[in-house]
Amino acid sequence: MMRRLAGFLLAALVLPLSLAGAAQAEPVDTGHLKAELIAQTQAIAPGQTIQVALRQEIDKGWHTYWRNPGDSGEATKIGWTLPTGWQAGEFVWQPPEPQPAGPLVNYGYSGEVILPMTLTAPADATPGQSVTLRAAAAFLVCEEICIPEDALLELTLPVQGEPARPAGRWAQPIAQALEAAPRTADLTAAFQTGEDGLKLAVTGDALAGADMAESYFFPFDGAVIDHAAPQAIERGPQGLTLSLTPSYAFQGPEPPQVMAGVLKVDDAYYEIEAQAGPLPAEAAGLGPPMARASGGDGTGLGLPLAVVFAVLGGLILNLMPCVFPILAMKAASLAGHAHEQSAARRQGLAFLVGVLATFLALALVLIVAQAAGAAVGWGFQLQSPPVVAALCLLMLAVALNLSGVFEIGTSLQGVGTGLASRGGLAGAFFTGVLAVVVAAPCTAPFMAPALGWALTQSAPAALLVFAALGLGFAAPFVVVAFAPGLLSRLPRPGPWMDHLRKVLAFPMYGAAAWLLWVLTLQVGPMGMARLLAAAVVLALAAWLYGLSQARAGGVALKGGAAVLAVAALAAVLIPAYQTPEPAGAASGAVAELPYEPYSAERLAELRAQGAPVFVNFTAAWCVTCQVNEQVALARQGVADALADTGTVYLKGDWTRKDEVIAAELARHGRAGVPLYLVYDRAGAAPVILPQILTEGVVVRALEAAASAG
Amino acid sequence: MTTSKLSRRPVLLGLTAAAAMIAAPALAAPAIGKPAPAFTAIDSTGKSRSLSEFKGKTVVLEWTNEGCPYVQKHYNAGAMQGLQKSATGDGVVWLTLISSAPGKQGHKTAAEANDWKAESGAAPTAILLDPKGQVGRAYGARTTPHMYVVNPAGTLVYMGGIDDKNSADAATLKGAKNYVVAALGDMKAGRAVAQPVSAPYGCSVKY
Repeated sequence: MMRRLAGFLLAALVLPLSLAGAAQAEPVDTGHLKAELIAQTQAIAPGQTIQVALRQEIDKGWHTYWRNPGDSGEATKIGWTLPTGWQAGEFVWQPPEPQPAGPLVNYGYSGEVILPMTLTAPADATPGQSVTLRAAAAFLVCEEICIPEDALLELTLPVQGEPARPAGRWAQPIAQALEAAPRTADLTAAFQTGEDGLKLAVTGDALAGADMAESYFFPFDGAVIDHAAPQAIERGPQGLTLSLTPSYAFQGPEPPQVMAGVLKVDDAYYEIEAQAGPLPAEAAGLGPPMARASGGDGTGLGLPLAVVFAVLGGLILNLMPCVFPILAMKAASLAGHAHEQSAARRQGLAFLVGVLATFLALALVLIVAQAAGAAVGWGFQLQSPPVVAALCLLMLAVALNLSGVFEIGTSLQGVGTGLASRGGLAGAFFTGVLAVVVAAPCTAPFMAPALGWALTQSAPAALLVFAALGLGFAAPFVVVAFAPGLLSRLPRPGPWMDHLRKVLAFPMYGAAAWLLWVLTLQVGPMGMARLLAAAVVLALAAWLYGLSQARAGGVALKGGAAVLAVAALAAVLIPAYQTPEPAGAASGAVAELPYEPYSAERLAELRAQGAPVFVNFTAAWCVTCQVNEQVALARQGVADALADTGTVYLKGDWTRKDEVIAAELARHGRAGVPLYLVYDRAGAAPVILPQILTEGVVVRALEAAASAG
Repeated sequence: MTTSKLSRRPVLLGLTAAAAMIAAPALAAPAIGKPAPAFTAIDSTGKSRSLSEFKGKTVVLEWTNEGCPYVQKHYNAGAMQGLQKSATGDGVVWLTLISSAPGKQGHKTAAEANDWKAESGAAPTAILLDPKGQVGRAYGARTTPHMYVVNPAGTLVYMGGIDDKNSADAATLKGAKNYVVAALGDMKAGRAVAQPVSAPYGCSVKY
């Protein structure tokens, strides 16, 4: 048995060697690439058409070019010297890669590229003979500089009587190259120039339902579009519309009437030929594609996995720093009903309903805002200064209540802070609401990919994921409320509860102070002054209200308290805040690493220069981000690693609304911050760091990126 | 990067596509029939030159990079120098621009530019040094060579390639249609430039 197997293996090894004698070609090293002619068969029959190919193995860092080389460069060429009657076809071009070079973009290839073409033998070729076919190939090979290189290539094929079948080492690679080439689907394409540039609309069955993210048009003609300009994508029910920047050709006396090229949609490439004329309606109207789950943990997340991630994320959200005050409220609330089982259950359910309702409402707002074309994401509400200010006052009011300055009476239960006082269901419901509202700045692990995925899906799928998130978030509280065993382990109500309540006031004061800081970063010292003044007035209102509760019938006091509270809230909401110069963003607050502000241009430039780059997308209102800054990024080890590796540190501040950053988050499958990206020198895809950073994680990622390439 | 060579290509592809999409238009796009973008630059003799000083004359702008094989095609055969001489002989102002950044291919100091001019027999009116690429970006210069023609009124009348043969092979000079010669000829004859745009070809400008 073993012997037979060994014999079989030996035959398998020898067979290709003996066959290699059939079709012969020698690779030629032209300096920066190796070129050779390869064939899909080992022989050819008279009259047969076979696939041959020009194969390039390009040195690392160097490129050759597509049929339209883009802003510079030159397409690879081949010229055959064939015996009479033999015919070779044109290259079947592989989909190109856009290759940025400073402010320019080229279209070309790197690594291995196989350009197939047909070869037809004449009907009168003589079987038994061997024919040697010669071709001169010319390449422009560029790294930073460009070198024209030539190769004289040969391919020797035996002529045989029977049609040859694909065989040998190159049969499969050539088949794959033919498979990967752009295909002609039944697509209709039209383009139109107007005041808003050049629009290219493509429709067809092949495009219906595609997610369209990262769609791109590679024109065959190098003079029709600005290759370096971004191509904005709008989806439609039957296709898509790309906004292109017209180039030279449209300035000439005879603007193009036809624009042909390759359209990349999702991972497919289609050859299209667009005619000048009106754009089909079904190619637009659905807004831009959002996130394409790409890279890191978000790759190809399906609905079931997204739901699982959302539940996990919701569970972990309970432990995140910004949710700690909520934990405090929940604990106090639960302890208050620890020994009345049915009341505890009702409380648990009311809390769950409050959480779910708020998450779903948030999801609806997000979906509607996205449909309206706004670049929003998780935590977006905290980009609005009035919301931050109102939230700060709310935190303060809760803290003052916990401190015992005033009590929540039945009449005010609806405010959402009726935690430790009465068993009202509305109180539990609004505790849930409040919990979600203040949880917004946090993205827990697992949550980011789930939300990133959800916001690119249909509304029902997105709602389902948000509901799962709410379930996960509310689960610990609900479980405790429904488990008598757990409930009975909680200590009996008593004086300890009052102490706990007063201790728990301090995280709330902390949360209020933190929101004040966020507001200051958003709108500057004047905004801070306004909020502080309002806070003092609110505190006075709380004290007056407390006084009125201590005395029977303090109606005047109550009225005064209400007026003051309303005045405090109004003061932070109206008039609108002035936005300070962007220079005053989240940076100045803490002494930290030297960084450059993020811009897409700067990133592209650095990447074109081959510099390793660390990008940190953050926001002042994102507690996870702030914690990471302190526990990981502010460490000396990270500073040293950045300096040693020559990594450029770019920081994108999402404290205020910023469409560019929102789009960038979306591209990495995220709907919110933090997002940490590490780009290596070699131009590979960025590594997405985890959302909870440690010094070691960052240092290792930086070192790995610097050594790659 | 531990991925195999084969599986890595699609990743690279997607990534470079992403990078390309964020490469926002850092190059301006000048327009035919509109005033040519104004500029001031130091020439290789240390003199400050600006486009406005040549008002009333036809101005040819030529982006160059001595190390670029496409530029060499036109200089090694003496074609570019010949064109410069005949144009300046007709009263045309010929400005050769070097937008290579320091340390990049083709970058020249003033002294190096003068040496190169002497060695190559180049005959422009002036060689302008644009190491920061400001003039290049204002004109959207992509390649070397990349040619622009400005009429005496200061209007851009031609931009694009030097000729219609995208190749570094000197054999392609013969039979090529030289767009700059054609544009200058049209202007001399008082005609509108028949072909005001073409796709430039060559090496990328080393910004």
